[in-house]
Amino acid sequence: MIDYTKKLREEKMKLFKDNKVVNWHEHVWDDDDGKFDAQQSDLLVESARRAYMDVLVCSLPVSGGSPDPDVIRRKNNIIAEAVDRHPNIIKGMAFVNPGYSREAVAEIERCVNELGMIGIKLYNQYFISDPVLHPVIEKCIELDIPILEHAGKQMSLPVDQPFISDGTHFAKVAEKYPEAVIIMAHIGGGGDWQWSLKAISDCPNIYTDISGSVYDEGIIEQTVSYLGAERVLFGTDGSFSQGIGKILAANISEKDKIEILNNTRFSRYLERGAY
Amino acid sequence: MLIDINTYIGHWPFRQLRNNTAVGLLSKMDEYGIDMAVVSSLNAVFYKDTQEGNRELIEEIQNNKAQDRFIPFAVINPKYSAWEKDFIYCVENMGMKGLELYPYYHRYALTEPESVELVKLAGEMNIPVHLPCSIVNVRQRHWMDTNDNLKYDQVEKLLALCPDTDFIISNGPSHMIARQLKKVSKERKGRVYYDFARLDVFALRAPTSAFNALVQDAGIDHIVFGSVLPFQYADPQFVRLTYAGLSEEDMDKVTSGNLKKLFQL
Repeated sequence: MIDYTKKLREEKMKLFKDNKVVNWHEHVWDDDDGKFDAQQSDLLVESARRAYMDVLVCSLPVSGGSPDPDVIRRKNNIIAEAVDRHPNIIKGMAFVNPGYSREAVAEIERCVNELGMIGIKLYNQYFISDPVLHPVIEKCIELDIPILEHAGKQMSLPVDQPFISDGTHFAKVAEKYPEAVIIMAHIGGGGDWQWSLKAISDCPNIYTDISGSVYDEGIIEQTVSYLGAERVLFGTDGSFSQGIGKILAANISEKDKIEILNNTRFSRYLERGAY
Repeated sequence: MLIDINTYIGHWPFRQLRNNTAVGLLSKMDEYGIDMAVVSSLNAVFYKDTQEGNRELIEEIQNNKAQDRFIPFAVINPKYSAWEKDFIYCVENMGMKGLELYPYYHRYALTEPESVELVKLAGEMNIPVHLPCSIVNVRQRHWMDTNDNLKYDQVEKLLALCPDTDFIISNGPSHMIARQLKKVSKERKGRVYYDFARLDVFALRAPTSAFNALVQDAGIDHIVFGSVLPFQYADPQFVRLTYAGLSEEDMDKVTSGNLKKLFQL
């Protein structure tokens, strides 16, 4: 009988070892006092190195309520500290609350132009198709930066995220802004992934990342089947074992796996970020 | 040797599954080097009379001459008539080696008298009780599927009420469950085992990974391998084994030694 652990360690992990791996969905966190948790960022980076990940694109979103601009600036400054501490591996994404429209646009400019961030992260404060997002999306188009939006078709009850965006919301915004580059986050952590994949399959500017703790058999094959590997990004969102394992397991071509691990359509963003 | 604590054969009503027959599951087991697997009937979860599904499972295993690869567990609903007779028949006549309970599908509490009676009976018969925390993640459930997971407070009470019975708890946040059940587990004769199908071995937010937290609270002698085939990819389990940093001796316990002891193989 085959020793699959040995096979994975000695053969299958070569996929990660021999190719550039860009993780488009990770986080660094603040501590109990709201300060940068340097130790946590060190743990994250150390784990990434063990798993042959070359780039970690990190954000620090506020997952509840409607955070005000001061809170958001503090969160984004923490991302900047993480980038400073690990400049060779961490890239930053700015979190904003589109409800504070003018401040959100200003914060995007600050984070991109002054702090060297390479995209923005949105959470569940509004559906991505809500018109309140228009100034934010237009600013991202102007700056040519991607938008990573927390997403999911939540099926468990009670609904605790009433404004979480599912694939149908992304399809609407794709129609309104076909030139925007938008990532529907964590196909493996957003509820009914089949629903969302079907909804965005015909929207060429909507991408997804594979992060999340779910690794249902077939999830990667169906994602690539609906979107093509060129619209899929590697990510983990706090689930390294699952993220690595599902790409290794997927019955797709080696070429597609390499494209997902380092999506070439997004390479230009990684070249930015230098102060 | 590798023994898997959590696999299924049968039809899943809510999403197309591949390799959900004995032949299909055996092919995946061969691919991953899984020598033996605990298996239960998905049909038994959904039929009113679980015993129909249990019979189908045994027939499927026998028809494929795979008795040496599978360790069949009986799905019993203690709120359905003749549950005691069915359970005894499964053990004594069908060669089933364990009991598997789905309170969140069959809509009962583990602390109800019939549940306690069944689990006590299992203990008296030296039959371990498997409690999967869920079959699939409820966040993505079909709208007709259950919205509930295993209730850990009920498990804690059940452990105290049935101190001689061995338990296996799988496919859930095992590190948190083991922490909750640590005290009651120490006060009983029966053993409690956990799989690590939902845990990360990488430390990303705290110095201790979820897997290592499980080792600390449950002990390496109580950790077992569970793939949840054919619902999930098995590779993440092997990523965990690769990066867990276990000694050869501990790896042997997790991959087969602990279950060999439980099943007296």
